[in-house]
Amino acid sequence: MSQQSLNAPGAGGDDESSDEAVTGGQTFASAQAADDLLDEIDSVLESNAETFVRSFVQKGGQ
Amino acid sequence: MKRRVGGLETEFGLVCVRADGSRALEPEEAARELFRPVVAMGRSSNVFLGNAARLYLDVGSHPEYATAECDDWWELVAQDRAGERIFADLAARADERLAAGGQDARIHLLKNNVDSAGNAFGSHENYLVDRRGEFTRLPRYLLPFLVTRQILTGAGGVVRPGSPEDGGEAQFVFSRRSDHMWEAVSSATTRTRPIINTRDEPHGDPTRYRRLHVIVGDSTMSEVSTRLRFATTDLVLRAIETGRALPELALADDIAAIRAVARDLSGTAPLPTADGGTTTALEVQQRWLDHVTALAEPEEAEVLEQWQRGLDAVRTGDRSWAATHLDWAIKERLFTQVAERRGIDLGDPAIERLDLAYHDIDPSRGVFFALQRRGLAPQILSEQRIEAARTTAPTTTRAHLRGQVVTAAQEHGVDHVVDWTTLRLTRPGAMPVQVMDPFTTADEKVDALLEEIRAAGTAAAEMPPA
Repeated sequence: MSQQSLNAPGAGGDDESSDEAVTGGQTFASAQAADDLLDEIDSVLESNAETFVRSFVQKGGQ
Repeated sequence: MKRRVGGLETEFGLVCVRADGSRALEPEEAARELFRPVVAMGRSSNVFLGNAARLYLDVGSHPEYATAECDDWWELVAQDRAGERIFADLAARADERLAAGGQDARIHLLKNNVDSAGNAFGSHENYLVDRRGEFTRLPRYLLPFLVTRQILTGAGGVVRPGSPEDGGEAQFVFSRRSDHMWEAVSSATTRTRPIINTRDEPHGDPTRYRRLHVIVGDSTMSEVSTRLRFATTDLVLRAIETGRALPELALADDIAAIRAVARDLSGTAPLPTADGGTTTALEVQQRWLDHVTALAEPEEAEVLEQWQRGLDAVRTGDRSWAATHLDWAIKERLFTQVAERRGIDLGDPAIERLDLAYHDIDPSRGVFFALQRRGLAPQILSEQRIEAARTTAPTTTRAHLRGQVVTAAQEHGVDHVVDWTTLRLTRPGAMPVQVMDPFTTADEKVDALLEEIRAAGTAAAEMPPA
């Protein structure tokens, strides 16, 4: 049975800054964290944002 | 009910694109690729898993995951997130197969509620309620709560000009779901979508239980938001079930109100009430919070506290707590920052792309998880707990029995069919075992079935190869 195969290791999550989440409330306000995040987001948004959005059309569910 | 069983059904958006963002596969084809290992395992695209959840392909090629029955709302959040991880892995494996076949194609699964053409799909909450609890009386009290709770547990989003009620600029809203609600209470789900669905499928003893099906909710990424959705609704249901006097806040027009509440970030827009007066979203929520405080259990203090903090964030405009805990406020801050940085307004396609990326369930690619890693979104559940929930059912409900049967049948390679109430082997003459009480965690007939599965598995293993 291939139940196991559903549970293969995930595709990632090993971000360089993964330790930050456990260091507590101080990092919440960290301007550096926010800047890093915005840099990361820029790379998502610069690659064909509008084309991607238009590609996401599906029939309704439920 | 002091102890209540609940479950969460999540429909995922599905898009398969090339590197340039253009569509690589139609949704039907992408769904077929995604479900290939599921069909190989269960010979069907509708299976129950070892954690007792149901994983299937719904109308419109929406992958769907329904958690097992939970009676603890953190357990429910863990089971829900486990479902995300299971689907994220299926998507990663499908991507690998597509790449190996030389295709420029990548599947994105989005835990949101609307595509770019405005087609909606759901996040359906289920609550077990007592059959004797005067179901007809329930909506009158529950609806004002459900209409206004988006100021706490909405996923946030942007409504763009061109939507029916918006003439001008794109604006941030508590919930986009409100624009897809057309009725207060009905048995429909797709055509005229109601806030409360009255379809009477209790998945339990129908003489004792009813299943309350709430379909007004947004799919939430924040564990805090998801937990509050269930914990606050449970408290309100308990208050209604006491039979005592309740806040009389029935609204004149639930659907007009839900749209107005979505757009009013101050929470103070007047909402006409059925008795000719007016109220506000903040007042409705505050009155329910004050009312349930008296009947909350000590271990629910955190729920009450977070509920109050969420309302205070709306009342005072001070988002410092909300902007790192509640989806709508996390998104409000993020969208504002990104729009300022890029010199665009909220109606720009880049913000719509960002909204989709926020709901992308890929742990390495999804923006919500990037926020989590930087401490800008809550991470309450440990990775170990989420991992465990992928294979282990909740132990305090009937799910425990279903989980054991599915796990044993899979381990021993024994064909089986299960649903929410019934467990059965597929061999001729096998007797179905029914478990009609969702609170049952031990059952002799299930023990016998488990014995039968182990014996059948052993017999099969001992058979000489053909």
